Amino acid sequence: MANPYDVLGVSPSASDGDIRNAYRRLVKKLHPDLNPGDKAAEDKFKEVAGAYDLLGDADKRRRFDAGEIDETGTERPQQRYYRDYASGPGHAYADDGAFADYMDGDDVFAELLRRSQQARANRRGQDLRYRLAITFVESIAGANKRLTLPDGGTLDVTIPPGLIDGQVLRLRGKGAPGSGTGSAGDALIEVEVLPDPRFERDGDDISIELPISLTEAVRGGRVRAPTPTGEVTLTVPNGANTGTRLRLKGKGAPRRDGGHGDEYVKLKIVLPRVPDPDLEAFVERWEAGKSFNPREDR
Amino acid sequence: MKREEFLVRSGLQVETLEVWLEQRWLLPAAGDVESGYSEIDIARAHFIRDLQGNLGVNDPGIDVILHLVDQLHGMRRAFAELKQSQAKPGDE
Repeated sequence: MANPYDVLGVSPSASDGDIRNAYRRLVKKLHPDLNPGDKAAEDKFKEVAGAYDLLGDADKRRRFDAGEIDETGTERPQQRYYRDYASGPGHAYADDGAFADYMDGDDVFAELLRRSQQARANRRGQDLRYRLAITFVESIAGANKRLTLPDGGTLDVTIPPGLIDGQVLRLRGKGAPGSGTGSAGDALIEVEVLPDPRFERDGDDISIELPISLTEAVRGGRVRAPTPTGEVTLTVPNGANTGTRLRLKGKGAPRRDGGHGDEYVKLKIVLPRVPDPDLEAFVERWEAGKSFNPREDR
Repeated sequence: MKREEFLVRSGLQVETLEVWLEQRWLLPAAGDVESGYSEIDIARAHFIRDLQGNLGVNDPGIDVILHLVDQLHGMRRAFAELKQSQAKPGDE
């Protein structure tokens, strides 16, 4: 890097005001965004900015003059300038006003300009992305949801039955409007399925854990069990145990082929919260219970 | 990117952003929660800051400069497209 005084075009005896003025004069001339087509402007601009970092700071200038620091070490991080994006296609700041009059002619140049402007004018609208959280039950059974947009508008979303967490729904034409004859973009809705403490999903199947009483386990009986589409009655066979799995056919998630997965109900025997004296007395004299070791075949 | 990320990366205060949006110096994509702001908005914000700061341009001056610079980029893009169509006359 050159001597910062030379870069700014000032003498080492220049006042702080002179340095600031020299810097501002150069920045006006060299700012990359005021020189969109001049590749060298950016390097020159960085050099000037680096020199001013040093000389514009009284303390750094004193240390540089005293030889304590050199002209390097003031390198600036890489910056992307507006000019790096502004000549690209399809952004909100595009302005064709500077050559609008050239497009009126019937020469080849005017024709080319018109054609490229038309292509831009009839651009398809942007796709807009949204997020939507639904309950587990809604993900299995399907639902109609209304999404409130940041601009206050609403979007009606039909959740198809059997949707899985993270799935993206595409609503055609519900994105940003296109320009000219360009079609509107799509709304892309990423759906998050909120967990439900009762249900767990495994592919098309669902599993739940269902507490049953000791009486229901021993003698069997009919109990109510939740499914995503409502409660059903389930027959617990007598002699059922903790871990016994029963299948509710077709109560799982819808499949692509039109069928449904199953719901698996895992039973769990739960004793009364308050110990029952009769039960205690029974277990006391229950010989088979004393000799049964559920851990022995482990 | 979202507004929060834009504020952090551009170094703008919320109040400044509000003013710039009102002046239509910045035009983020409306109604888009996920990607309302993009890289071009950040680069443009830096440009406006430079104009206001080191370049000492006042607000009406910024209006004029942005308008002219945007037209210049429109020209540059048109030239680039013309150049491309000249390079590949058969392609349509």
